[in-house]
Amino acid sequence: MNSWHRTRTIASRELLDFVRDWRTILTMLLIPLFLFPLLFVVLPLVVVGQAEELTATEAQVVVYGTLPTALADALVETNVVLLTPPANSTGVDDDEQNRLVREGSLDLIMGWRLDEEDVYVVHLRYMSTASVSNDARSRVVNAIAEWEESERVRRVEAGGMDANVTLDPVRFDSTSMDLASQSERQGWLLSSFIPLIFATWMVSSAIQPSIDMTAGERERGSLEALLCAPLPRWELLAGKWAAVSTIVLAGVTLQVAGLMFALTYLAGPGLLEMPRMGVAPILLLMVAVVCFSVMVVATELAIAMRSRSVKEAGSALAPLGLLVLVPAIIVQVVNLDGVEGVWFAVPVVNVMLAMRELLLNRVVPFHTVVWLSTTLFYTALALAYAQRQFDREDLVLGAS
Amino acid sequence: MEGEVLASLRSVSKRFGPVVALDAVDLDILHGSSTALIGSNGAGKTTLLRILAGVYRPSEGTAVLGEGNIVDHRRRIGVMTESTGLHVRLTAWENIRFHARLFGVEDGEARRRTERHAGPLGMLGALDRRTEGFSRGMRQKTALMRALVHEPDLLLLDEPTAGLDITSARAVRTLIQSLVEEGRGVVWSTHDLSAATLCDRLVLVHNAKVVANGPLSTLLASSSVADAEALHELHTMEATREFLEGVDVVS
Repeated sequence: MNSWHRTRTIASRELLDFVRDWRTILTMLLIPLFLFPLLFVVLPLVVVGQAEELTATEAQVVVYGTLPTALADALVETNVVLLTPPANSTGVDDDEQNRLVREGSLDLIMGWRLDEEDVYVVHLRYMSTASVSNDARSRVVNAIAEWEESERVRRVEAGGMDANVTLDPVRFDSTSMDLASQSERQGWLLSSFIPLIFATWMVSSAIQPSIDMTAGERERGSLEALLCAPLPRWELLAGKWAAVSTIVLAGVTLQVAGLMFALTYLAGPGLLEMPRMGVAPILLLMVAVVCFSVMVVATELAIAMRSRSVKEAGSALAPLGLLVLVPAIIVQVVNLDGVEGVWFAVPVVNVMLAMRELLLNRVVPFHTVVWLSTTLFYTALALAYAQRQFDREDLVLGAS
Repeated sequence: MEGEVLASLRSVSKRFGPVVALDAVDLDILHGSSTALIGSNGAGKTTLLRILAGVYRPSEGTAVLGEGNIVDHRRRIGVMTESTGLHVRLTAWENIRFHARLFGVEDGEARRRTERHAGPLGMLGALDRRTEGFSRGMRQKTALMRALVHEPDLLLLDEPTAGLDITSARAVRTLIQSLVEEGRGVVWSTHDLSAATLCDRLVLVHNAKVVANGPLSTLLASSSVADAEALHELHTMEATREFLEGVDVVS
């Protein structure tokens, strides 16, 4: 039996163990598959549902002053109930009325008066932390804005001017256009969040299997039995690496499948569509994902193997998921058009920047050379570090 | 072949930093013989077994199996660790097959060998069950079958009968005896002195040293004690006394 067969045997055993645990399957495979469909279906449904529910709710607004009839009618149309203040009320400063707003039995206090310069002055008191009160404020502000528009036209025309020309002296030609195609715009939008989601998923999803296959095996005693087998340590590392990478890449593949399904069938043409990418960007994107997963899995296996226990490994690896967020967020704000080449050499940032460019269907030769060579270098470093940990003689006991 | 040296340790020491886990140990394992390794917890038995298994390399001295270094001949060694080290979501057979494949044994042959051992051990009906529900005894027997699947020349067993009922323990002992009769060398680490007396040789380990090594009858004759338990006590006390005499005491 050669190295390939032994490595495959180890990886197969690890994967068999993995698929026998339905909880792990649920966490590692089903969640990535349904993540994007949930984001594109459930989230909008919840948001729209909540907004509709809020709009249908009556808002109790007490008004100090006399509103123009048109404005009052517009407010009533938006489910606003206009209340007259109590006879003994002292005005918008009335403590009792303010208390009612704070308690939620009243949603808004509105003061309306015309000053000496013929300008209407509006005073609003509401609770920004209460949904209905906040929404009542929005309804009132929107209704006033619309009424103000008609009032503005009325006043300009009363002065003998053409309101259309006076109030709208600059206009955009209706044939103005965005030269970016629809798919380019989709790619730009997707490129801003896909690398973030992929990177954080890869880092976080590799943690549990990495710990289970190293520190976990040591705690269960199965590692010692494995070390007695006639195989070099690098084969052990390769087998475990292959198993964790398969799990991580399966998760990423399912995420992509879920994303494509969501974009094609759920998001609708008005929201998002799949970006069109050439063969070279697609291939390079796959290389970037694979390189990144090799690096991440090797690093996590090494750290987990260094740890004395599952608990220690968990404590050492858990912050990694958060750590990767920092470069991931930096990548979101980097301007790709003027980006310096050095960014493509920074660990983690380089792969995510590469993903962004490739999703935009851009292949910049200099950037590609830099991110590819540096990623391979970091990957080699990670593998060398992992090999060093697996070569430790005290592997069976845990490193000190 | 029987009676010839199968494996030997010469002046083997093992250190972990400042800790001496094994100190200048000489030991021969013969073909067709069983050796009981006895000693208190922390005496160095597990380190000795791990050196014999090729998991540890000696800090000093040589560990040889046949003509070469033990580490390079792990294919000829079968190990049953104390914790058994089974994968609980796999069946007993899948655990055994996994190791058989690593040792280059074809699946069909591995299954035949496993069933041959499973019969006497009462495990035939449990081979295709997941090991997560196994009793300690069943796990021990599975680990033993796993250690035997590649037909090793040297079998290293760490507490193979611990946790077994009387019938199972007897079945394991019978199996081990048959392996010895086939010409294999068996090293058996145990706290059970009555079981140890069934072995051809006793090796007493204390404070990282081998303090007695030989057939039980020879050791008893040279020590003027009646049984293995007294022998163990005598040697460990002697070794402790010698150890303390060698220590500079500053009052």
